[in-house]
Amino acid sequence: MKRSIERHRNILDFALSSLLRRKGKNLSLLAVYTLIVFIIASIVFFTQALKREAGLVLQDAPDLVVQRMVAGRHDPIPVAYADKIAAIRGVSEVKPRFWGYYYDAVTGANFTLVACDDPAPAAESIFIGSGVARTCRLSEGDFLPLKDLKGAPALFAVQKIFPSDSELVAADLIQLKGDDFRRLFDFPQGRATDLAVSARNQNELKTIAAKIVHEFPDTRPILKSEMLRTYDAVFDWRSGMVIVVLAVAVLSFIIFAWDKATGLSAEEKKEIGILKSIGWETSDVLLLKSWEGIIISLTAYLCGVSLAYLHVFFFSASLFERALKGWSVLYPEFKLTPVVDPYLLCVLFLLTVGPYVVATVVPSWLAATVDPDAAMRS
Amino acid sequence: MIELIEVSKSFNVGKVNQFDAVNRVSCSIHPGQVTILKGPSGSGKTTLLTLVGCMARPSSGRIMLGGIGAQALSGMDPGTPLEITSLPERYLTGIRRSAFGFIFQQFNLVRGVSVLENVMLPSYPTGESQVAVRARALELLELFNITRHAASQVGLLSGGEMQRVAIARALINNPSVIIADEPTAHLDSRLSREFMEIIATFKARGKTVLIASHDPIVFDSPLADQIIEMRDGAVTSDRYAA
Amino acid sequence: MRKSTLFLTLTALNLLLCALLALHARASNSGAGARRSSSRDLVRRLQLTDLCLFTEARYTRNPAMADRHSPFQDHPMALEHFPTGSLVTPPVWHREAP
Repeated sequence: MKRSIERHRNILDFALSSLLRRKGKNLSLLAVYTLIVFIIASIVFFTQALKREAGLVLQDAPDLVVQRMVAGRHDPIPVAYADKIAAIRGVSEVKPRFWGYYYDAVTGANFTLVACDDPAPAAESIFIGSGVARTCRLSEGDFLPLKDLKGAPALFAVQKIFPSDSELVAADLIQLKGDDFRRLFDFPQGRATDLAVSARNQNELKTIAAKIVHEFPDTRPILKSEMLRTYDAVFDWRSGMVIVVLAVAVLSFIIFAWDKATGLSAEEKKEIGILKSIGWETSDVLLLKSWEGIIISLTAYLCGVSLAYLHVFFFSASLFERALKGWSVLYPEFKLTPVVDPYLLCVLFLLTVGPYVVATVVPSWLAATVDPDAAMRS
Repeated sequence: MIELIEVSKSFNVGKVNQFDAVNRVSCSIHPGQVTILKGPSGSGKTTLLTLVGCMARPSSGRIMLGGIGAQALSGMDPGTPLEITSLPERYLTGIRRSAFGFIFQQFNLVRGVSVLENVMLPSYPTGESQVAVRARALELLELFNITRHAASQVGLLSGGEMQRVAIARALINNPSVIIADEPTAHLDSRLSREFMEIIATFKARGKTVLIASHDPIVFDSPLADQIIEMRDGAVTSDRYAA
Repeated sequence: MRKSTLFLTLTALNLLLCALLALHARASNSGAGARRSSSRDLVRRLQLTDLCLFTEARYTRNPAMADRHSPFQDHPMALEHFPTGSLVTPPVWHREAP
């Protein structure tokens, strides 16, 4: 046992010596490989954490949201529909929702305005999200000037700022009183943005939705399960940007493997011949090559994954900011709860270490099986 | 005693360019003595060395090893000679590692690695403790007066120094047989004579030495106990020096 | 120091770091429920349906409320012009109005 460990350590020593011989090349290889693992692991950590937050936080979202479509576009829904919908068996409550978007020309940011009277802000006062406070540099007691539909100014007092823990749902949110909302947007009377429907039995939702559509063909009901599934699809590997990143990673990897696998240089072959002539067996040479592969890929994996974790959960995935921000001015601070999925990390490990070690060992196989006396002849 | 009985070695058997390097050679190499293989290039000296040193298997014939410590490996009685002709590669390599030390014509040192590591290299796969091996390696470097080069790259050494590193490497596993292939080919007369003095120390320590050379400094040396002349793969004369 | 010792030590340290991060994940998760409560409270009261991730366009801010042709809202030949639109795929509906 001890001999075996000692043998491994000796061969590991020589593998390290071999790698250090071409220090520059191997260090840059390690750096680039670590970078690839870092990017992929960051994406994995980020998307897993976000999906889980969505799943947990949106549990209390409405069971059903009924929208009205006119000419294929979203249109405010008559509040009168609510009575008929409430009469459907299984429906416990129908609440009209009043919400919309507001573009602030001063900052260039898009805010989401929500009217809710429970609890309501005071007249001409608003509750704002921490992102709004950041972008407009507001604190409690300050004033936020908004413009109504006709362009006339409307000043609102900041009564409360939502806690920063709620950043993920409320960063761009501005809550106002129902009357203020209608006044600001000149919202048509008797209409709401959409209707939030609660059902007693979750299993009935599909039936209720079908009945709603039957009753009001101009509506489109959205189930809670569909809302949550949207977040499973965000950052899906099929989505544009993620596919580009993954494609770059795969291509880079293919370049490495190609470099390794297109045969050994004459110098490397000669060296293997020398090792065989001084008493190294084929298995020793292959072990040497495996160690060379493992050293680089294992280090790249461990460093890449650790750095990715730190990047996503300690530094709020700041390197992704450019891509995630797009053209938005208001960008939430992602304080995500870490999710470590062992399955994905194992897959990443196998994909990182496996092919690289194989690409290092296999080309050496032929050279390693050469007869020791061949070295005498050269 | 190493005995070769009707040993032949052919390369590219069955092909157009079949080459019989060694043709039905029988000879004996006595322990503790210096045996020289003399002959022009292409006479099969190198091939015979590889066969004796367990580096290659003969195409036909038998090779028996006795009295060189090889038996210790297979747990047999040290008195009986061991036939190595049909041993599997692993055992053959094991015997070679522990009983034989090779000095190659081209030195065959690993570039880019230090002298000390080069000397220690043959012991790596055996799993022997590094501390002991390192001490032995430093001793050997001391013996051959090249301790100051211990951390140097081999590429920076002169021919004579490189050969001494090669000799030190051959001795790292404490072999009982030293095999040298044209050791003086890249050396001047002074260094060649120095080499023969080193051979004298081996002989004094009871090691068996087998040298292939066509250099008169080697085969005319008083150290030579047996001279086997070869030509075209066959032994033309096998005599004992007086 | 032997090179292998150095390498094995560094690898061990790296593994230790990974273990510590895993513990951090565990610890964060146990305290996460409390942190989430303010978000869940807002979702419940205001009946929110989406996370605030991308505030560029309507369908990136509320992807659950969007439909398949929202990106083409400006005109039928409009291609996706918001960068984060490529991160948000349109939701899959089981029912459309008959």
